[in-house]
Formats: sequence, C-alpha cells, structure tokens
Amino acid sequence: MEIAYYPGCTLHASSELYDIQSKLVFRKLGVELKEIEDWNCCGATSAEKTDEFLSIALPARNLGIADASGFSEMVIPCSSCYSRTLVSQKKLAGDPALLESINAELTQKVSGKIKIRSILELLVPRAQSGLIGEKIIKKLEGLKPACYYGCLMTRFPCDMEVPDNVENPQGMEIVCSALGAKPLDWAYKTDCCGAAASVNDAEMSLSLMSKIMKDAVARGANCFVSTCPMCQFNLDAYQEEIREKYGIAERLPVYFITELVGIAMGLSPHEMQIDRHFTEATGLLKELELI
Amino acid sequence: MTTTAIKYEPDLSKPLLHEIMERSGQNLPACYQCRRCAAGCPVGVEAGVTPDRLIRMILLGDREEAMNNLLVWKCLSCFTCGARCPNNIQTARITETLKQMAKEAHTEPLLPKVAAFHNAFMKATSHFGRFNEVEFMGIYELENTASAVKRGNLKIITDEIKASSRLGLAMIRKRRLHFRLARVRNLAEVKALYKKSRQQTDR
Ligand code: SF4
Ligand code: SF4
Repeated sequence: MEIAYYPGCTLHASSELYDIQSKLVFRKLGVELKEIEDWNCCGATSAEKTDEFLSIALPARNLGIADASGFSEMVIPCSSCYSRTLVSQKKLAGDPALLESINAELTQKVSGKIKIRSILELLVPRAQSGLIGEKIIKKLEGLKPACYYGCLMTRFPCDMEVPDNVENPQGMEIVCSALGAKPLDWAYKTDCCGAAASVNDAEMSLSLMSKIMKDAVARGANCFVSTCPMCQFNLDAYQEEIREKYGIAERLPVYFITELVGIAMGLSPHEMQIDRHFTEATGLLKELELI
Repeated sequence: MTTTAIKYEPDLSKPLLHEIMERSGQNLPACYQCRRCAAGCPVGVEAGVTPDRLIRMILLGDREEAMNNLLVWKCLSCFTCGARCPNNIQTARITETLKQMAKEAHTEPLLPKVAAFHNAFMKATSHFGRFNEVEFMGIYELENTASAVKRGNLKIITDEIKASSRLGLAMIRKRRLHFRLARVRNLAEVKALYKKSRQQTDR
C-alpha cells in the first residue's frame, strides 16, 4: 500500500537518518511512504508562540496538498509537525471563517479529509497483528530500552482524541516487545526534554534532561528509544554535557524506533545510518551481537 | 516591582482578563487553585511562578507582572498543566498570549534569547518556506548578539560562540548539518500567508 508522508524540515536536515530509516523500514513492511509535493515548514512551536494565524495557516497549506493528493492517510513522524498539523486540522474543522480566509490563499484547498497518523499509529497495529514478528530475523535480546515519548505525542494544546494512554503511553513498548527487546517501566517517559530550550535556555533544558537520564540509568536501561527528532537530538547531542555537569557515568545510545525495527528485520547498520548518532550507538548492538 | 498583588482592582482586572481569555481561548475564572498544574510543571519552581500563580495574577489584574515573570518566558509548551487540569485550562496558551502581548507592547523580553529564538525561526522560515538550520543560526546569533551588546554583556556572546561551535562541529562530524538550501517552489503562496498574518496584526 501507499500512504502520504510529511517529513517536515528536520527529517530533511539534522534528522535525515530518521527519514531514511522510515522509508526503508516501511517498505519492508509493505508500505510506501509518498512524500507530498512542495510542502512547507509547519511553523513548529515558534509559530505557536509568536503568531496564532500562521500556526494554523502554515500546516493548513500542507493539509491542502495532502487532501488533494488522493491518499486517505498521511504519516508524520516528527512529533512537533504531527501535533501542529493535527491542531490546525482540528481548528479549521471548527472555524469556517478561518478556513475560508486561509483557503482563499491556497491553490490546493483544505477539505479536512486526510487522516493524520503518527509513526506509532502505523507501527503498533503491525506489531499487534504479528506482521512485524513475522519479518524479524534477529530478536533484539538484551536490549533494555527506556521508551521516551516526550510531550507532543500524547499532550495537545486543545482537546484531541489521543490514540494512547496520555500519562503512561504503551505504543513504543508494544513495538519493542514485538522485536524481542525488554522495555522498562520508568517514570520520565512523558517528561519534557526542554525542546528548543536546549538552545535558548540551556541550563533549564540540561537540568530536565539530567532527570530523564538519571531515572533511565537507575532503572537499568541500556538505551533510549524515541519517535521524536527533537527529543532524540537533545538526549543524543547534549548527553556528554549532561554527564559532565551532573556526574552521570553511563552513556545511553538514543535510537529512533525505526532503526530498532530495521535492525531486527535484518537491515544493515549502514542502511540504518547508525553512525550518525552523537552518542556512540553501534557499540551496544555489537556487544549484544545484534549486528 | 515583584510585590504580590493581593488587592483586587476590578477596573484593571476586567480588561486584562477579557483580553487574555479572548486571545488564549482559556476559561481562566474556572481555575479553583487546586495546583495540579503546579505539581507537574517542569519549570514552575525554577521560574518562581507556577501556572496557578500566573492565573491568579491575571485575575487580580496585574498586567505588568503577568507579562514580566519567568514562567511566561520559560514555559516549554509541554502541555502537562493542561493535560492534568480538572478545568481544562491550558496555561501554555496563556503564556503564548502573554509573550505576544509583551511584544506588541514593546516590552523588553525577560529572557531575550527565547524571544530571539522564536523570532529568528519565523524569519528564517519566511524566506524560503522551509527551515534551514544554518540560516536560522545566523539570524538567531545576530539577534542575540545585538541584544547582548545592547545590554553591555559580552560574556553572553563568548559563551554563545563556545556552545554553538561545540554543537556545530559535532553536527558536521556526524553529517547532521546540511548546507544545501531547502525551499518551497511555490514560495509566493507561503509568502501570501505571512502577508495575511501581518495584515491581521496591523488591524
Ligand atoms: S490545575 Fe487548573 S484549576 Fe487547578 S490550579 Fe491549575 S489551572 Fe487552576
Ligand atoms: S506548558 Fe508551560 S506552564 Fe504548563 S506545565 Fe509545561 S512548562 Fe509549565
């Protein structure tokens, strides 16, 4: 099957590895991700904080393109893009005047029919149906991930139907268990990493990440798994600083969910671009003889 | 200054409350100060103001303090407060509104780097319709440096250079920094949306 795909800016830049992994992994699962034409930046948190109109209008242009694409579903792996696009769709469904005003500027109008999916909404049913289990070549035995959801997968600025438990989501745990890994129970799975604060309010963000890191270590995790490119980037790129500043000895690789699914299905570390992590991430997989 | 307002001034309170309710879409008077939001807020303690306190401040009509407290500037829009509030109040929507009000009132932001970050992000994405990290970093550092110079604080600049070069070098090493320019082909359409937004704020 084919499904519309909105990568967003991050998956074409600093988290390109997530884009590459997602396409390969879903192809193996029989799903082709079809990038929508000429999409634009969703505005992320910055539009939300500074410009109410653009925070709805920027994702709306992408929604219009997706609505006109003929697909019924669109997957958005980045949590921030996912959240902003859903919020825009919901707001426009309830505000005909705003919808008209925005549609007046667009060649491809928003009709509201495309169904937005997170990456977990695609992976979880395939784990539950046994499809992922059938495709596995190597069980991820010995891997003890702390599944880290961050904020935007389950919490929204407005009422929204959330496809998982808001305070204790289980989607990643279901997928990781299907891969043969042993995800851990821990307390910080939906806590905030600080997002952009790692750049504009660094002390604050490092202190939040240190708590996340300490709990994961205390529970015996040997890695993190994430679906959000921002969370992944923060925990990965600033880990050395957190360790120095807060005296944490351990290093935990921060994997995207897609690379774990890929490795278990026999895709190579090269195909999964595992060398592009800031915190060394191939060593653990070698040690556990998974690659 | 930062005295806690305990006097209720209806003349001051009503216009402020109505403006914030209208813009944020949040029903502030529903707050009964149970402080579930405070318990979950990751920045409240350090900011010295928790979401319940911010709401109280607004209900009491303290406009200055409402725009100039650290919660407004440190709020991460993590939505924990709103997810737990029994009255469905999203304080993130309130802090967003207050940041916009501070900007419109030309008030110096309490955390200039936060304001510079979001302004630079919007500026960078307005040029080509997509976010280009290198372009963004350029604009952000310029805004940041300008504001640090204005405040006569050169240490901020050296710290900033150190932090961003450490990160930038690591990103290059890991092939995570991109130098080709991402852009939207139908840029005119994206620009029309930016223009419409400006017309709306000018009105
Ligand atoms: S959780 Fe809601 S009702 Fe309770 S103090 Fe916070 S804002 Fe008020
Ligand atoms: S959204 Fe802002 S105010 Fe609410 S809990 Fe998060 S940081 Fe605190």
